[in-house]
Amino acid sequence: MSVKIEASEGGMDHNTMLGIGLIGALVCIYLVYLNTLMSTEVFAFFGGLAAVIALWWGTDSIKNLCSYGLGTGVPSAGMIALGSGVVAMLFATKLAGISPLLVPVGCVIVAAILGAILGFISDKVLNMNIPVMTRMIAELTVVGSLTMLGFTAMVAGTFSFGDLITGATSVFGVEIASYAASVIGGCVLATIFMLGAIAIQHPFNACLGPNESWDRTQMCALECGFLSMIGVSVMSLAFLSLPAVVISFAISIILWGWSYSELIKLSKRDAFAWLDAQPIREVGGEQ
Amino acid sequence: MEEILFGIGISALAGALATVAGAAEDTESDIGSQGDPNSQVQLAPQMGYIHRIYNKAVSGEPPAYGLWVALAAGIAWALMAIQYNAILALIIGSAVAVFVQGVYATTAYLGRTASLAKFEQPVYIDILKSVTTVTMAHAFVAVFTTVTMCFLIIEALGHPFPLPLMGIVWGIALGAAGSATGNPFYGKERQYQKYAFGAGLPISASGDIVRYAEAGQRSSLDNGWFTSKGAGPASGICFGLIVFFELWRTILFEPFAAGWGAVIAGAVIIIVFMVIDRFVETWARKTYGPYTTETEEEATA
Repeated sequence: MSVKIEASEGGMDHNTMLGIGLIGALVCIYLVYLNTLMSTEVFAFFGGLAAVIALWWGTDSIKNLCSYGLGTGVPSAGMIALGSGVVAMLFATKLAGISPLLVPVGCVIVAAILGAILGFISDKVLNMNIPVMTRMIAELTVVGSLTMLGFTAMVAGTFSFGDLITGATSVFGVEIASYAASVIGGCVLATIFMLGAIAIQHPFNACLGPNESWDRTQMCALECGFLSMIGVSVMSLAFLSLPAVVISFAISIILWGWSYSELIKLSKRDAFAWLDAQPIREVGGEQ
Repeated sequence: MEEILFGIGISALAGALATVAGAAEDTESDIGSQGDPNSQVQLAPQMGYIHRIYNKAVSGEPPAYGLWVALAAGIAWALMAIQYNAILALIIGSAVAVFVQGVYATTAYLGRTASLAKFEQPVYIDILKSVTTVTMAHAFVAVFTTVTMCFLIIEALGHPFPLPLMGIVWGIALGAAGSATGNPFYGKERQYQKYAFGAGLPISASGDIVRYAEAGQRSSLDNGWFTSKGAGPASGICFGLIVFFELWRTILFEPFAAGWGAVIAGAVIIIVFMVIDRFVETWARKTYGPYTTETEEEATA
């Protein structure tokens, strides 16, 4: 069995983070439904916020999983999270046929079942023998599916399958429905997949080391999430009205700027020294 | 016939773009110390060797380039969907992707270096200011050429995949080509150039990377200067050949046997390259042989 190494002391309890992440992300995804209720598109940005909250929680799951000596496995954990999450997310969007309100909850349930199966296979069948494996892979699958669902809701303003496969192209000023111009048909999901997969693995991958601290890693998670939101908001130009895009873009830029400056402050706090154009300090290595 | 000639022309153009992309990608990753040489940059302070080398630990190069190219392609696709000019859309997409790349690079350097405080590795802000922009410039060349190549494949050759999907596929291929071909020049030679060639990397030398230059201290920009001569062009040729052979076999052999002609041509190309690789490997083993100690070498010489 692998030995656990504590990544960082202190910080919030993981179960509390799970609660905040799960409920926060679900509430924000449901808020995107205001678009349908009020026949507008300006609430699309709540999808991005849902994804960021999920990423914030997922970063701690990756940290828990990778404290068992999975150094180079950190990026892979991000890939499996989003890779399995996209299956659950696409399945859940089909539930909109019954009721659109079923989609976010259905997404979580399907992802949890799928993740538990994948985690069980990695832990018991492939014999990786990491005690938290099954639980953390299940959590990461839920995080991955919520991230995909959140960013998809942000780019399209909706999360029902029917709307995701219909887009509109204008030919000589006439609007015609077209599969190729839709979120799924245009494969915007491929970009969202990579935005989520790199954002979920980056914070712990970037901050790992003996002086890793909880608040800096989590601030990096928020920063990566808001940065992905900027990209998603630009892509939503193809699907949403201009005011909705401008609102999404402004919110993403402001939150990203805040999180980036906070991250630099925290790095300055944790760094051994903060030097500008200074020579190498020799501490004992040979010259 | 005319259609085939047009197809071969586009293949050549796409191959040329891919060659530029591969060269820029490898130089970018060597300046930023991404990919497998990064482990030694990360290890050095722990062994007592404080250095001034950039530490861009975003992830492996293939997933990272998967993101940069897919993001550029996604944004270009969205802008073209609202009737933007294609060239402008590709440029704006690449610019946004490179902005994201630059931000990821800085957070990776700050995060890794701040977490090494225990080993007294300081954060050098001037590195962040001078090197990040250079990696961003190289990344722009790599991302823009790859997205343009994807656009050509779709628009001129009629490939059925949408642009973002092509972006993710060729972005990962680009990262893999640069990581596999170019990085050994930087990781095995440049970082350990004070050890004799062919000695391999003894465990005792782990982390003892070259930290001082001919004059003063080694900057990551010097690594770009070194690898752009050999590693960059080698990666460019690698990625260019991948793209050219891939398109060329499809265009030329697809009409045969209901599309199976292209599949068979692909298999033949792989077998031919396997034979060449095997020949190069055995030739290198015979010529350079196993590692011998200095005295034996002198005796034989």
